[in-house]
Amino acid sequence: MHDLALEGVKFIDLTWMNIGFLFVVGFIGGLVSGFIGSGGAFVLTPGMMSLGVPAAVAVASNMCHKFPKAMVGAYKRFKYGQVDLKLGLVMAASATVGVQAGIKIQEMILEKWGEAGSNLYVSLSFVTVLIIVGGYVFYDAWKTLKSGAGEQVSSLALRLQKINLPPMIHFKTAGLTISLWFTIPVGFATGLLAATIAVGGFIGVPGMIYVVGATGLISSATELVIAFLMGLGGSVKWAIHGMVDIRLTLIILAGSLLGVQLGAIGTTYVKEHMIKVVMGTIMIVVAVSRALAVPKYLEELDLLSISKSTISYLDLASFLIMCLALAVGAVIILGAMWKGRRAAEPHAAPIVTESYEHV
Amino acid sequence: MAATHSTTKKKPVAKTIVFGAVTAALYAAAFWNGDYILQLFTKGGYYAALPIATVFVVSFAHGTFASNLWSMLGIEAITKQPAKRPEVRPVPRPAQRPRPRVRLSV
Repeated sequence: MHDLALEGVKFIDLTWMNIGFLFVVGFIGGLVSGFIGSGGAFVLTPGMMSLGVPAAVAVASNMCHKFPKAMVGAYKRFKYGQVDLKLGLVMAASATVGVQAGIKIQEMILEKWGEAGSNLYVSLSFVTVLIIVGGYVFYDAWKTLKSGAGEQVSSLALRLQKINLPPMIHFKTAGLTISLWFTIPVGFATGLLAATIAVGGFIGVPGMIYVVGATGLISSATELVIAFLMGLGGSVKWAIHGMVDIRLTLIILAGSLLGVQLGAIGTTYVKEHMIKVVMGTIMIVVAVSRALAVPKYLEELDLLSISKSTISYLDLASFLIMCLALAVGAVIILGAMWKGRRAAEPHAAPIVTESYEHV
Repeated sequence: MAATHSTTKKKPVAKTIVFGAVTAALYAAAFWNGDYILQLFTKGGYYAALPIATVFVVSFAHGTFASNLWSMLGIEAITKQPAKRPEVRPVPRPAQRPRPRVRLSV
C-alpha cells in the first residue's frame, strides 16, 4: 500500500554521532520515566528534529519507543506492588477522549492562525501548565522535606473521597475509594495535555496525587500504564501512515530500556517525596525552556519585532535548557538512589533463598 | 533427612549472556539490511504490524537482558511495600428519609 503521507518524507542517514546522541538521551529519558512516570519525550522529539528528522517522523518514532518503554517500566513497578491497574485503565479510557479533544483544538488553531499560531499555543500551554502545576508540586515537595513528615493526602482529595456519588470505585493498590466522576476530568486533562505537549504525565501524575489522592509512588507507576495504552494507540496510527523510522526507535529503545528499569529500581531506594522533587524541578526548567521559544512564534505572527540572530540564540538556549532539565532530573535520581542505597546497606540483610538437599 | 540452609542469591550471568546475545542478534538483523527494512516497515497500511511487532519482540529480549544486567551489577530493588494510607470512607447516604410524624393531642 502506498501512503500519500509518505510523499516528500526523507529518512536521515545514521552517523555514529546521531546513534550516540539518541542512545544517551534514550537512557536518561528512560531513567526519568521509570522514576516519575513520564519525561524524555519532550527532549527526544526536538532532539531528533535537530538531527534533520522531519517533525512527523520524529513524533512517530518517539511514540513508538515510548509505549514499549512504558510497558517494561509498568511491569517492573507492578512487581514492586506500585501499579494500580484499575486506576490506570480508568484514567486511560478518559485520556483517550482527552486526546481526541486536544487534536480537535489543535486543528482549529492550525486552521485559524497557521503553524506559528499552533506552535505559540503549544508553547504557551507548556509554560502555563508547567509553571502552575510544576510550581505547586515543587512547593509541596519542599514543604514535605522541611516538615520531615511523610506524604499527606491533599485536602481536595480527602473532600472528594468523602462524596458519595455513584458509581464509587475502590482502587485496591492505591488504597482509596472515589467516585468515577472525579477521575474522569483528571484522565481527560492528561489526554488533552498529551495531545498538546506530548507529555500527559505532567498533569496525570499531579492529578492522581492531588485530586484522586494516590501517593506519588503509586501515581507515577500508574502513569506508565496510561502511557503504554495511549502510546500503543498512537503508534499504530502513525505506523499505518508509514511514519515510524524503526532504526531511530530501536536505537532510543536500546538506551531507554536500560534507563527505565534503573529508574524503577530507584523508586524503591528513595523516600516518596523524591518523586515530587524530581517532577517539580523538571517541569519548572522545561517551562523556562519553552518560554524562550515564545518570542520566535510571536515574531512569526507579526506580534513582536526581533532580529533573526536573537531568535537563533533563543532557539539554541531553549533546546539546551530542555536537555538540562532531563540531566538535572537524572542527577537528582541517581544522587537520591546513591544515598538511599548507602543508607540501606548497613541494615540490609542478604537476600536469602531456601534450598533443600538430601543428606 | 531434609536440611535447610541459606545461600546468597546467584547472579544471573548465564541469563544475561543469553538475552544479550538474542538482543544483539535482533539488532544485527534490523540494521544489517537497514534500508530494505526501513522501506518495508514504512509502507503503511497492514505493514504497520511490522514495527509494532518488532518493538514488542525487542522489548522482551532487551528488557529481560537489561533487568538481568542490573541484577548482575548488584543493582536490585529493595523489597518494601508502598506505605498504606488510612482509607477515607465516603459518607453513607441514609437508607431511608425520615418520615414526618404527626401527633394529635385530643
